[in-house]
Amino acid sequence: MTATVAPTRHRPGPRSWSLLVVSELKMVIRDTSGLVIPIALPVLIMVMNGIGTGSEVLPNGLTVFDVYLMPLVLTMIVATIGVINMPSFLSYYRKAGILKRLSVTPANPLMILVAQVITSVIQTLVGLTLAMAIALTVFDANLPTSLWTAVGVFALSAVAMYAVGMLIAALSPTPNATIAIGLIAFFVMGAAGGMFGTIDGFPEPVRAVGEALPFGASVQAMSTAWAGETPELKHVIALLVAIVVSAVVAGRYFRWQ
Amino acid sequence: MNAIEVQGLHKRYGDTVAVDDVGFDVDEGEIMGILGSNGAGKTTTVEMIAGVRRPDRGTANVLGLNPTADTAALRQILGMQLQESHLHASLTVTELVRLYASFYPDPADVPRLIESVGLSEKSKTRFEKLSGGQQQRLSIALALVGKPRVVILDELTTGLDPQARRRIWALVEELKTEGVTIVLVSHLMEEVERLCDRVTLIDAGTVVATTTPSGLIARAALAQNVTFRVSGTFDRAVFAGVAGIDDVEVDDETVTVTGEGDLLQTVGSTLVSAGVVVTETRLHQPTLDDAFVALTGRRLDENSEEAA
Repeated sequence: MTATVAPTRHRPGPRSWSLLVVSELKMVIRDTSGLVIPIALPVLIMVMNGIGTGSEVLPNGLTVFDVYLMPLVLTMIVATIGVINMPSFLSYYRKAGILKRLSVTPANPLMILVAQVITSVIQTLVGLTLAMAIALTVFDANLPTSLWTAVGVFALSAVAMYAVGMLIAALSPTPNATIAIGLIAFFVMGAAGGMFGTIDGFPEPVRAVGEALPFGASVQAMSTAWAGETPELKHVIALLVAIVVSAVVAGRYFRWQ
Repeated sequence: MNAIEVQGLHKRYGDTVAVDDVGFDVDEGEIMGILGSNGAGKTTTVEMIAGVRRPDRGTANVLGLNPTADTAALRQILGMQLQESHLHASLTVTELVRLYASFYPDPADVPRLIESVGLSEKSKTRFEKLSGGQQQRLSIALALVGKPRVVILDELTTGLDPQARRRIWALVEELKTEGVTIVLVSHLMEEVERLCDRVTLIDAGTVVATTTPSGLIARAALAQNVTFRVSGTFDRAVFAGVAGIDDVEVDDETVTVTGEGDLLQTVGSTLVSAGVVVTETRLHQPTLDDAFVALTGRRLDENSEEAA
Protein backbone atom coordinates (compact mmCIF):
# COMPACT_ATOMS: atom_id res chain seq x y z
CA MET A 1 0.00 0.00 0.00
CA THR A 2 1.45 3.31 -0.98
CA ALA A 3 0.44 6.70 0.21
CA THR A 4 -1.30 8.48 -2.62
CA VAL A 5 -1.70 12.00 -3.77
CA ALA A 6 -4.62 13.64 -5.51
CA PRO A 7 -3.46 14.13 -9.09
CA THR A 8 -3.26 17.79 -9.96
CA ARG A 9 -2.98 19.15 -13.44
CA HIS A 10 -1.44 22.51 -12.69
CA ARG A 11 0.30 23.97 -15.71
CA PRO A 12 2.74 26.86 -15.56
CA GLY A 13 0.68 29.97 -16.19
CA PRO A 14 1.15 33.40 -17.78
CA ARG A 15 3.61 34.37 -15.07
CA SER A 16 5.89 31.46 -16.04
CA TRP A 17 5.64 32.40 -19.68
CA SER A 18 6.48 36.04 -19.12
CA LEU A 19 9.36 35.14 -16.77
CA LEU A 20 10.73 32.70 -19.33
CA VAL A 21 10.56 35.25 -22.14
CA VAL A 22 12.20 37.88 -19.90
CA SER A 23 14.86 35.29 -18.99
CA GLU A 24 15.58 34.61 -22.64
CA LEU A 25 15.75 38.34 -23.39
CA LYS A 26 18.18 38.84 -20.50
CA MET A 27 20.31 35.99 -21.84
CA VAL A 28 20.45 37.67 -25.25
CA ILE A 29 21.10 41.17 -23.89
CA ARG A 30 23.73 40.04 -21.38
CA ASP A 31 25.47 38.04 -24.09
CA THR A 32 26.57 41.22 -25.88
CA SER A 33 27.52 39.58 -29.16
CA GLY A 34 23.96 38.28 -29.31
CA LEU A 35 22.83 41.85 -29.89
CA VAL A 36 25.76 43.15 -31.90
CA ILE A 37 25.62 40.62 -34.72
CA PRO A 38 21.93 40.71 -35.63
CA ILE A 39 21.31 44.40 -35.08
CA ALA A 40 24.55 46.38 -35.32
CA LEU A 41 26.08 44.47 -38.23
CA PRO A 42 23.20 44.92 -40.72
CA VAL A 43 22.81 48.57 -39.71
CA LEU A 44 26.55 49.14 -40.20
CA ILE A 45 26.36 47.61 -43.68
CA MET A 46 23.37 49.78 -44.48
CA VAL A 47 25.14 52.95 -43.33
CA MET A 48 28.39 52.22 -45.15
CA ASN A 49 26.57 51.41 -48.40
CA GLY A 50 24.18 54.29 -47.94
CA ILE A 51 27.03 56.78 -47.71
CA GLY A 52 28.26 55.44 -51.05
CA THR A 53 26.23 54.90 -54.17
CA GLY A 54 22.80 54.29 -52.73
CA SER A 55 21.01 57.46 -53.76
CA GLU A 56 21.14 56.77 -57.50
CA VAL A 57 17.54 57.09 -58.71
CA LEU A 58 16.08 54.35 -60.88
CA PRO A 59 13.45 54.90 -63.61
CA ASN A 60 10.60 53.95 -61.25
CA GLY A 61 11.47 56.74 -58.81
CA LEU A 62 13.02 54.42 -56.24
CA THR A 63 16.71 54.35 -55.41
CA VAL A 64 19.30 51.60 -55.46
CA PHE A 65 19.23 51.97 -51.68
CA ASP A 66 15.54 51.05 -51.64
CA VAL A 67 15.52 48.21 -54.11
CA TYR A 68 18.83 46.49 -53.42
CA LEU A 69 20.17 47.54 -50.04
CA MET A 70 17.03 47.51 -47.87
CA PRO A 71 16.00 43.96 -48.85
CA LEU A 72 19.57 42.83 -48.16
CA VAL A 73 19.79 44.52 -44.77
CA LEU A 74 16.40 43.25 -43.60
CA THR A 75 17.24 39.73 -44.77
CA MET A 76 20.53 39.90 -42.87
CA ILE A 77 18.66 40.77 -39.68
CA VAL A 78 16.36 37.74 -39.85
CA ALA A 79 19.18 35.48 -41.05
CA THR A 80 21.60 36.38 -38.24
CA ILE A 81 18.91 35.97 -35.59
CA GLY A 82 17.46 32.78 -37.03
CA VAL A 83 20.52 30.99 -38.33
CA ILE A 84 23.31 32.14 -35.97
CA ASN A 85 21.80 33.33 -32.68
CA MET A 86 18.84 31.13 -31.89
CA PRO A 87 20.48 27.76 -32.61
CA SER A 88 23.52 28.70 -30.51
CA PHE A 89 21.25 29.31 -27.50
CA LEU A 90 19.26 26.13 -28.02
CA SER A 91 22.39 24.07 -28.46
CA TYR A 92 23.90 25.52 -25.29
CA TYR A 93 20.70 24.82 -23.35
CA ARG A 94 20.76 21.22 -24.45
CA LYS A 95 24.47 20.69 -23.85
CA ALA A 96 24.37 22.33 -20.44
CA GLY A 97 21.46 20.19 -19.32
CA ILE A 98 19.06 23.13 -19.00
CA LEU A 99 16.43 21.41 -21.13
CA LYS A 100 16.76 18.27 -19.00
CA ARG A 101 16.54 20.36 -15.83
CA LEU A 102 13.32 21.95 -17.07
CA SER A 103 11.94 18.53 -17.98
CA VAL A 104 11.89 17.51 -14.28
CA THR A 105 9.72 20.53 -13.40
CA PRO A 106 6.07 21.06 -14.37
CA ALA A 107 7.39 23.22 -17.23
CA ASN A 108 7.73 21.57 -20.60
CA PRO A 109 11.10 22.15 -22.29
CA LEU A 110 9.01 23.07 -25.33
CA MET A 111 8.22 26.29 -23.43
CA ILE A 112 11.83 27.36 -23.79
CA LEU A 113 11.63 26.85 -27.55
CA VAL A 114 8.55 29.04 -27.72
CA ALA A 115 10.17 31.62 -25.45
CA GLN A 116 13.22 31.63 -27.75
CA VAL A 117 11.00 32.23 -30.78
CA ILE A 118 9.21 35.11 -29.00
CA THR A 119 12.61 36.53 -28.04
CA SER A 120 13.76 36.23 -31.64
CA VAL A 121 10.62 37.99 -32.85
CA ILE A 122 11.26 40.85 -30.41
CA GLN A 123 14.89 41.05 -31.55
CA THR A 124 13.75 41.05 -35.16
CA LEU A 125 11.27 43.86 -34.53
CA VAL A 126 13.94 45.92 -32.75
CA GLY A 127 16.36 45.37 -35.64
CA LEU A 128 13.67 46.15 -38.20
CA THR A 129 12.57 49.32 -36.42
CA LEU A 130 16.13 50.58 -36.03
CA ALA A 131 17.05 49.84 -39.63
CA MET A 132 13.85 51.43 -41.01
CA ALA A 133 14.21 54.48 -38.78
CA ILE A 134 17.76 55.16 -39.95
CA ALA A 135 16.89 54.40 -43.57
CA LEU A 136 13.89 56.73 -43.59
CA THR A 137 15.38 59.62 -41.65
CA VAL A 138 19.06 59.60 -42.64
CA PHE A 139 18.96 58.16 -46.14
CA ASP A 140 15.54 59.35 -47.31
CA ALA A 141 14.61 55.81 -48.24
CA ASN A 142 11.15 55.03 -49.58
CA LEU A 143 8.79 52.56 -47.99
CA PRO A 144 8.11 49.50 -50.15
CA THR A 145 5.67 50.34 -52.95
CA SER A 146 3.74 47.15 -52.12
CA LEU A 147 3.98 47.59 -48.36
CA TRP A 148 1.90 44.60 -47.27
CA THR A 149 3.54 42.30 -49.77
CA ALA A 150 6.91 43.35 -48.34
CA VAL A 151 5.67 42.73 -44.79
CA GLY A 152 4.44 39.29 -45.82
CA VAL A 153 7.74 38.42 -47.51
CA PHE A 154 9.66 39.67 -44.47
CA ALA A 155 7.59 37.49 -42.13
CA LEU A 156 7.93 34.48 -44.44
CA SER A 157 11.70 35.01 -44.62
CA ALA A 158 11.94 35.24 -40.83
CA VAL A 159 10.08 31.94 -40.42
CA ALA A 160 12.32 30.33 -43.06
CA MET A 161 15.48 31.50 -41.26
CA TYR A 162 14.19 30.23 -37.86
CA ALA A 163 13.38 26.90 -39.48
CA VAL A 164 16.91 26.64 -40.87
CA GLY A 165 18.18 27.58 -37.37
CA MET A 166 16.11 24.79 -35.80
CA LEU A 167 17.56 22.40 -38.37
CA ILE A 168 21.09 23.44 -37.41
CA ALA A 169 20.31 23.09 -33.68
CA ALA A 170 18.83 19.65 -34.31
CA LEU A 171 21.73 18.27 -36.34
CA SER A 172 24.85 19.78 -34.77
CA PRO A 173 26.52 17.77 -32.02
CA THR A 174 27.96 20.54 -29.79
CA PRO A 175 27.38 24.25 -29.06
CA ASN A 176 30.66 25.14 -30.80
CA ALA A 177 29.68 23.16 -33.87
CA THR A 178 26.32 24.94 -33.85
CA ILE A 179 27.95 28.38 -33.98
CA ALA A 180 30.38 27.25 -36.69
CA ILE A 181 27.66 25.64 -38.80
CA GLY A 182 25.41 28.68 -38.29
CA LEU A 183 28.14 31.07 -39.44
CA ILE A 184 29.02 28.92 -42.45
CA ALA A 185 25.36 28.58 -43.43
CA PHE A 186 24.89 32.34 -43.06
CA PHE A 187 27.90 33.26 -45.17
CA VAL A 188 27.32 30.61 -47.86
CA MET A 189 23.63 31.53 -48.25
CA GLY A 190 24.52 35.20 -48.01
CA ALA A 191 27.35 35.09 -50.54
CA ALA A 192 25.23 33.14 -53.03
CA GLY A 193 22.29 35.41 -52.33
CA GLY A 194 24.00 38.73 -53.01
CA MET A 195 25.36 39.83 -49.64
CA PHE A 196 28.73 40.79 -51.15
CA GLY A 197 27.43 42.40 -54.35
CA THR A 198 24.46 41.95 -56.64
CA ILE A 199 23.87 38.53 -58.09
CA ASP A 200 23.51 39.91 -61.62
CA GLY A 201 27.12 39.14 -62.46
CA PHE A 202 27.05 35.57 -61.09
CA PRO A 203 27.30 32.55 -63.43
CA GLU A 204 23.83 31.14 -64.00
CA PRO A 205 24.18 27.97 -61.83
CA VAL A 206 25.49 29.93 -58.83
CA ARG A 207 22.74 32.46 -59.25
CA ALA A 208 20.10 29.73 -59.44
CA VAL A 209 21.36 28.07 -56.28
CA GLY A 210 21.59 31.41 -54.47
CA GLU A 211 17.99 32.27 -55.34
CA ALA A 212 16.78 28.83 -54.29
CA LEU A 213 18.31 29.22 -50.82
CA PRO A 214 16.26 31.26 -48.31
CA PHE A 215 18.68 34.21 -48.17
CA GLY A 216 18.68 34.89 -51.91
CA ALA A 217 14.98 34.13 -52.24
CA SER A 218 14.23 36.59 -49.44
CA VAL A 219 16.34 39.37 -50.98
CA GLN A 220 14.82 38.90 -54.44
CA ALA A 221 11.21 38.66 -53.23
CA MET A 222 11.57 41.69 -50.98
CA SER A 223 13.23 43.65 -53.76
CA THR A 224 10.31 43.06 -56.11
CA ALA A 225 7.87 44.03 -53.36
CA TRP A 226 9.82 47.25 -52.81
CA ALA A 227 9.56 47.99 -56.52
CA GLY A 228 5.82 47.37 -56.38
CA GLU A 229 5.87 44.19 -58.41
CA THR A 230 4.57 40.75 -57.46
CA PRO A 231 7.35 38.49 -56.13
CA GLU A 232 8.27 35.62 -58.43
CA LEU A 233 6.63 32.35 -57.51
CA LYS A 234 9.96 30.50 -57.43
CA HIS A 235 11.22 32.71 -54.59
CA VAL A 236 8.09 32.22 -52.51
CA ILE A 237 8.26 28.47 -53.15
CA ALA A 238 11.95 28.44 -52.19
CA LEU A 239 11.08 30.01 -48.81
CA LEU A 240 8.18 27.59 -48.24
CA VAL A 241 10.35 24.59 -49.13
CA ALA A 242 13.04 25.77 -46.70
CA ILE A 243 10.42 26.00 -43.95
CA VAL A 244 8.84 22.60 -44.56
CA VAL A 245 12.04 20.64 -45.13
CA SER A 246 13.84 22.22 -42.16
CA ALA A 247 10.88 21.76 -39.83
CA VAL A 248 10.38 18.11 -40.79
CA VAL A 249 14.06 17.21 -40.44
CA ALA A 250 14.48 19.24 -37.23
CA GLY A 251 11.38 17.62 -35.73
CA ARG A 252 12.78 14.21 -36.61
CA TYR A 253 16.27 14.73 -35.18
CA PHE A 254 15.95 17.27 -32.37
CA ARG A 255 17.16 15.84 -29.05
CA TRP A 256 16.27 17.28 -25.67
CA GLN A 257 19.40 15.90 -24.02
CA MET B 1 2.64 3.75 4.40
CA ASN B 2 5.12 3.59 1.55
CA ALA B 3 5.72 6.76 -0.37
CA ILE B 4 7.75 4.96 -3.02
CA GLU B 5 7.55 1.38 -4.21
CA VAL B 6 10.07 0.08 -6.73
CA GLN B 7 9.89 -3.44 -8.18
CA GLY B 8 12.10 -5.25 -10.66
CA LEU B 9 13.42 -2.17 -12.46
CA HIS B 10 15.55 -3.04 -15.46
CA LYS B 11 17.28 -0.72 -17.91
CA ARG B 12 19.63 -1.55 -20.73
CA TYR B 13 21.63 0.83 -22.92
CA GLY B 14 22.65 -1.06 -26.05
CA ASP B 15 24.58 -4.08 -24.82
CA THR B 16 25.12 -2.65 -21.36
CA VAL B 17 22.72 -3.51 -18.57
CA ALA B 18 22.79 -0.42 -16.35
CA VAL B 19 20.10 -1.57 -13.93
CA ASP B 20 19.39 -5.28 -13.80
CA ASP B 21 16.81 -5.85 -11.09
CA VAL B 22 16.25 -3.14 -8.51
CA GLY B 23 13.44 -3.09 -5.97
CA PHE B 24 12.89 -1.35 -2.64
CA ASP B 25 10.26 0.60 -0.70
CA VAL B 26 10.59 3.98 0.95
CA ASP B 27 8.33 4.94 3.85
CA GLU B 28 6.61 8.28 3.89
CA GLY B 29 8.92 10.76 5.62
CA GLU B 30 11.88 8.44 5.42
CA ILE B 31 15.34 9.25 4.10
CA MET B 32 16.50 6.39 1.90
CA GLY B 33 20.13 6.35 0.83
CA ILE B 34 21.07 4.82 -2.50
CA LEU B 35 24.59 3.61 -2.14
CA GLY B 36 26.94 2.14 -4.70
CA SER B 37 30.20 2.66 -6.56
CA ASN B 38 30.38 4.73 -9.74
CA GLY B 39 28.47 3.05 -12.53
CA ALA B 40 26.54 0.76 -10.19
CA GLY B 41 23.24 2.05 -11.62
CA LYS B 42 22.25 4.54 -8.89
CA THR B 43 21.53 7.51 -11.13
CA THR B 44 19.69 5.42 -13.72
CA THR B 45 17.55 3.96 -10.91
CA VAL B 46 16.50 7.33 -9.47
CA GLU B 47 15.95 8.76 -12.96
CA MET B 48 13.47 5.95 -13.62
CA ILE B 49 11.71 6.73 -10.32
CA ALA B 50 11.55 10.39 -11.35
CA GLY B 51 10.12 9.55 -14.77
CA VAL B 52 13.16 10.92 -16.59
CA ARG B 53 13.94 7.51 -18.06
CA ARG B 54 11.53 4.77 -18.99
CA PRO B 55 12.38 1.35 -17.52
CA ASP B 56 12.56 -1.60 -19.92
CA ARG B 57 10.89 -3.75 -17.26
CA GLY B 58 9.59 -3.33 -13.74
CA THR B 59 7.51 -0.67 -12.04
CA ALA B 60 7.93 2.32 -9.82
CA ASN B 61 5.17 3.98 -7.84
CA VAL B 62 5.55 7.38 -6.21
CA LEU B 63 2.65 8.42 -3.96
CA GLY B 64 0.34 6.33 -6.11
CA LEU B 65 1.62 7.76 -9.37
CA ASN B 66 3.26 5.81 -12.16
CA PRO B 67 6.28 7.91 -13.23
CA THR B 68 5.95 6.86 -16.86
CA ALA B 69 2.21 7.36 -17.22
CA ASP B 70 1.46 10.12 -14.69
CA THR B 71 4.54 12.23 -15.39
CA ALA B 72 2.70 15.56 -15.36
CA ALA B 73 1.15 14.88 -11.94
CA LEU B 74 4.46 13.54 -10.62
CA ARG B 75 6.25 16.79 -11.55
CA GLN B 76 3.99 18.68 -9.12
CA ILE B 77 4.99 16.67 -6.07
CA LEU B 78 8.51 15.46 -6.84
CA GLY B 79 11.57 17.67 -6.67
CA MET B 80 14.74 16.48 -8.29
CA GLN B 81 18.32 17.62 -8.12
CA LEU B 82 20.26 16.39 -11.13
CA GLN B 83 23.92 15.61 -11.16
CA GLU B 84 25.88 18.14 -13.24
CA SER B 85 23.08 20.26 -14.52
CA HIS B 86 23.69 23.84 -15.55
CA LEU B 87 21.24 26.71 -15.63
CA HIS B 88 20.85 29.87 -17.72
CA ALA B 89 24.42 31.17 -17.47
CA SER B 90 23.71 34.89 -17.31
CA LEU B 91 20.71 34.85 -14.96
CA THR B 92 21.22 35.61 -11.28
CA VAL B 93 20.43 33.33 -8.35
CA THR B 94 17.23 35.21 -7.52
CA GLU B 95 16.11 35.34 -11.16
CA LEU B 96 16.59 31.59 -11.52
CA VAL B 97 14.83 30.65 -8.28
CA ARG B 98 11.95 32.99 -9.14
CA LEU B 99 11.68 31.49 -12.64
CA TYR B 100 11.56 27.92 -11.34
CA ALA B 101 9.17 28.94 -8.55
CA SER B 102 6.74 30.18 -11.19
CA PHE B 103 6.35 26.63 -12.53
CA TYR B 104 4.64 25.40 -9.32
CA PRO B 105 1.19 26.11 -7.88
CA ASP B 106 2.38 26.80 -4.33
CA PRO B 107 6.11 27.55 -4.41
CA ALA B 108 8.46 28.16 -1.50
CA ASP B 109 9.31 31.70 -0.42
CA VAL B 110 12.15 32.71 -2.75
CA PRO B 111 14.40 34.78 -0.43
CA ARG B 112 13.95 32.31 2.43
CA LEU B 113 14.85 29.37 0.20
CA ILE B 114 17.98 31.17 -1.02
CA GLU B 115 18.87 31.88 2.61
CA SER B 116 18.38 28.22 3.58
CA VAL B 117 21.07 27.08 1.13
CA GLY B 118 23.36 29.91 2.23
CA LEU B 119 23.29 31.92 -0.98
CA SER B 120 21.75 35.19 0.28
CA GLU B 121 24.97 37.09 -0.31
CA LYS B 122 25.14 35.73 -3.85
CA SER B 123 21.49 36.38 -4.72
CA LYS B 124 22.40 38.99 -7.35
CA THR B 125 25.29 36.98 -8.80
CA ARG B 126 24.95 35.38 -12.20
CA PHE B 127 24.99 31.59 -12.37
CA GLU B 128 28.20 31.60 -14.46
CA LYS B 129 30.01 33.58 -11.74
CA LEU B 130 29.14 31.12 -8.96
CA SER B 131 31.68 28.58 -7.71
CA GLY B 132 30.96 24.91 -8.29
CA GLY B 133 29.77 24.51 -4.71
CA GLN B 134 27.48 27.53 -4.97
CA GLN B 135 26.00 26.22 -8.22
CA GLN B 136 25.39 22.93 -6.45
CA ARG B 137 23.58 24.68 -3.60
CA LEU B 138 21.43 26.60 -6.09
CA SER B 139 20.58 23.31 -7.76
CA ILE B 140 19.43 21.96 -4.37
CA ALA B 141 17.29 25.06 -3.84
CA LEU B 142 15.61 24.50 -7.22
CA ALA B 143 14.82 20.89 -6.27
CA LEU B 144 12.94 22.23 -3.24
CA VAL B 145 11.29 25.31 -4.76
CA GLY B 146 7.99 23.55 -5.51
CA LYS B 147 7.57 22.38 -1.88
CA PRO B 148 7.76 18.76 -3.04
CA ARG B 149 6.51 15.80 -1.01
CA VAL B 150 9.21 13.57 -2.46
CA VAL B 151 12.73 14.79 -3.17
CA ILE B 152 15.45 12.98 -5.10
CA LEU B 153 18.92 14.30 -4.42
CA ASP B 154 21.71 12.95 -6.62
CA GLU B 155 25.20 13.43 -5.17
CA LEU B 156 23.87 16.10 -2.85
CA THR B 157 27.08 17.50 -1.42
CA THR B 158 29.65 16.67 -4.09
CA GLY B 159 31.99 19.63 -4.44
CA LEU B 160 30.85 21.35 -1.25
CA ASP B 161 33.26 22.46 1.44
CA PRO B 162 32.71 20.92 4.90
CA GLN B 163 30.86 23.95 6.24
CA ALA B 164 28.43 24.11 3.30
CA ARG B 165 28.02 20.37 3.53
CA ARG B 166 26.89 20.55 7.15
CA ARG B 167 24.49 23.34 6.27
CA ILE B 168 22.90 21.25 3.53
CA TRP B 169 22.69 18.25 5.85
CA ALA B 170 20.82 20.38 8.36
CA LEU B 171 18.48 21.47 5.58
CA VAL B 172 17.78 17.84 4.65
CA GLU B 173 17.10 17.00 8.30
CA GLU B 174 14.67 19.91 8.45
CA LEU B 175 12.86 18.59 5.36
CA LYS B 176 12.51 15.25 7.09
CA THR B 177 10.85 16.86 10.12
CA GLU B 178 8.36 18.38 7.68
CA GLY B 179 7.47 14.86 6.53
CA VAL B 180 9.15 15.03 3.12
CA THR B 181 10.25 11.67 1.71
CA ILE B 182 13.82 11.80 0.49
CA VAL B 183 15.87 9.56 -1.78
CA LEU B 184 19.52 10.40 -1.43
CA VAL B 185 22.11 9.10 -3.88
CA SER B 186 25.50 9.24 -2.26
CA HIS B 187 28.86 7.68 -1.94
CA LEU B 188 29.82 9.72 1.11
CA MET B 189 29.63 7.43 4.12
CA GLU B 190 29.53 10.21 6.66
CA GLU B 191 26.53 11.69 4.86
CA VAL B 192 24.69 8.38 4.68
CA GLU B 193 25.34 7.54 8.33
CA ARG B 194 24.18 10.92 9.49
CA LEU B 195 21.09 11.38 7.31
CA CYS B 196 19.70 8.08 6.13
CA ASP B 197 17.12 6.01 8.00
CA ARG B 198 17.83 3.14 5.66
CA VAL B 199 20.13 2.48 2.74
CA THR B 200 19.78 0.44 -0.42
CA LEU B 201 23.13 -0.88 -1.53
CA ILE B 202 23.30 -1.32 -5.31
CA ASP B 203 26.12 -3.11 -7.05
CA ALA B 204 26.33 -3.94 -10.77
CA GLY B 205 22.67 -3.02 -11.25
CA THR B 206 21.23 -5.20 -8.49
CA VAL B 207 20.29 -4.59 -4.88
CA VAL B 208 22.75 -6.17 -2.49
CA ALA B 209 20.91 -5.12 0.67
CA THR B 210 18.27 -2.71 1.96
CA THR B 211 18.65 -2.05 5.66
CA THR B 212 19.65 0.57 8.22
CA PRO B 213 23.22 1.90 8.06
CA SER B 214 24.09 -0.04 11.24
CA GLY B 215 22.25 -3.08 9.87
CA LEU B 216 24.46 -2.92 6.81
CA ILE B 217 27.54 -2.98 9.00
CA ALA B 218 26.14 -5.88 11.03
CA ARG B 219 25.27 -7.73 7.83
CA ALA B 220 28.84 -7.49 6.61
CA ALA B 221 29.71 -9.38 9.83
CA LEU B 222 32.92 -7.52 10.30
CA ALA B 223 34.60 -7.95 13.63
CA GLN B 224 35.61 -5.02 15.76
CA ASN B 225 39.07 -4.92 17.24
CA VAL B 226 41.06 -3.19 19.95
CA THR B 227 44.70 -2.33 19.50
CA PHE B 228 47.19 -1.28 22.15
CA ARG B 229 50.94 -1.02 22.60
CA VAL B 230 53.04 -2.67 25.25
CA SER B 231 56.68 -2.23 26.15
CA GLY B 232 58.62 -5.44 25.82
CA THR B 233 57.03 -8.72 24.93
CA PHE B 234 53.35 -9.50 25.43
CA ASP B 235 52.11 -12.86 26.61
CA ARG B 236 48.98 -13.69 24.65
CA ALA B 237 48.02 -16.19 27.35
CA VAL B 238 46.60 -13.19 29.24
CA PHE B 239 43.50 -13.45 27.02
CA ALA B 240 43.26 -17.24 27.08
CA GLY B 241 39.75 -18.35 27.89
CA VAL B 242 38.32 -14.83 28.22
CA ALA B 243 34.73 -14.70 26.96
CA GLY B 244 34.13 -12.42 23.94
CA ILE B 245 37.70 -12.61 22.64
CA ASP B 246 38.10 -14.32 19.28
CA ASP B 247 41.67 -13.69 18.29
CA VAL B 248 44.83 -12.05 19.51
CA GLU B 249 47.61 -10.93 17.18
CA VAL B 250 50.97 -9.73 18.42
CA ASP B 251 53.16 -7.75 16.05
CA ASP B 252 56.29 -6.66 17.89
CA GLU B 253 54.93 -4.28 20.56
CA THR B 254 51.50 -3.78 18.95
CA VAL B 255 48.69 -6.09 19.99
CA THR B 256 45.39 -6.45 18.10
CA VAL B 257 42.48 -8.16 19.85
CA THR B 258 39.42 -9.17 17.86
CA GLY B 259 36.13 -10.02 19.55
CA GLU B 260 32.47 -9.34 20.24
CA GLY B 261 30.30 -7.41 22.64
CA ASP B 262 31.75 -4.56 24.67
CA LEU B 263 35.23 -5.38 23.52
CA LEU B 264 36.95 -2.31 24.91
CA GLN B 265 35.61 -3.07 28.39
CA THR B 266 36.55 -6.78 28.17
CA VAL B 267 40.10 -6.03 27.04
CA GLY B 268 40.56 -3.27 29.64
CA SER B 269 39.44 -5.30 32.62
CA THR B 270 41.44 -8.35 31.51
CA LEU B 271 44.62 -6.28 31.22
CA VAL B 272 44.05 -4.58 34.58
CA SER B 273 43.49 -7.85 36.40
CA ALA B 274 46.62 -9.31 34.74
CA GLY B 275 48.55 -6.22 35.79
CA VAL B 276 49.68 -5.40 32.23
CA VAL B 277 50.37 -1.72 31.51
CA VAL B 278 49.47 -0.68 27.99
CA THR B 279 49.35 2.59 25.99
CA GLU B 280 47.53 3.91 22.92
CA THR B 281 44.47 1.73 23.39
CA ARG B 282 42.10 2.15 20.47
CA LEU B 283 38.79 0.61 19.47
CA HIS B 284 38.27 0.07 15.74
CA GLN B 285 34.67 -0.48 14.78
CA PRO B 286 33.81 -1.37 11.20
CA THR B 287 32.50 1.58 9.24
CA LEU B 288 29.96 1.69 6.47
CA ASP B 289 32.96 1.92 4.15
CA ASP B 290 34.29 -1.40 5.46
CA ALA B 291 30.85 -2.93 5.13
CA PHE B 292 30.59 -1.73 1.55
CA VAL B 293 33.92 -3.31 0.64
CA ALA B 294 32.97 -6.53 2.39
CA LEU B 295 29.58 -6.76 0.68
CA THR B 296 30.56 -5.78 -2.86
CA GLY B 297 34.27 -6.45 -3.07
CA ARG B 298 34.80 -2.89 -4.28
CA ARG B 299 35.59 0.42 -2.75
CA LEU B 300 32.92 3.10 -3.00
CA ASP B 301 35.00 5.43 -5.14
CA GLU B 302 35.96 2.60 -7.47
CA ASN B 303 34.37 2.23 -10.91
CA SER B 304 32.45 -0.96 -11.43
CA GLU B 305 32.66 -2.69 -14.81
CA GLU B 306 29.17 -1.63 -15.80
CA ALA B 307 29.08 1.89 -17.13
CA ALA B 308 26.25 4.11 -15.98
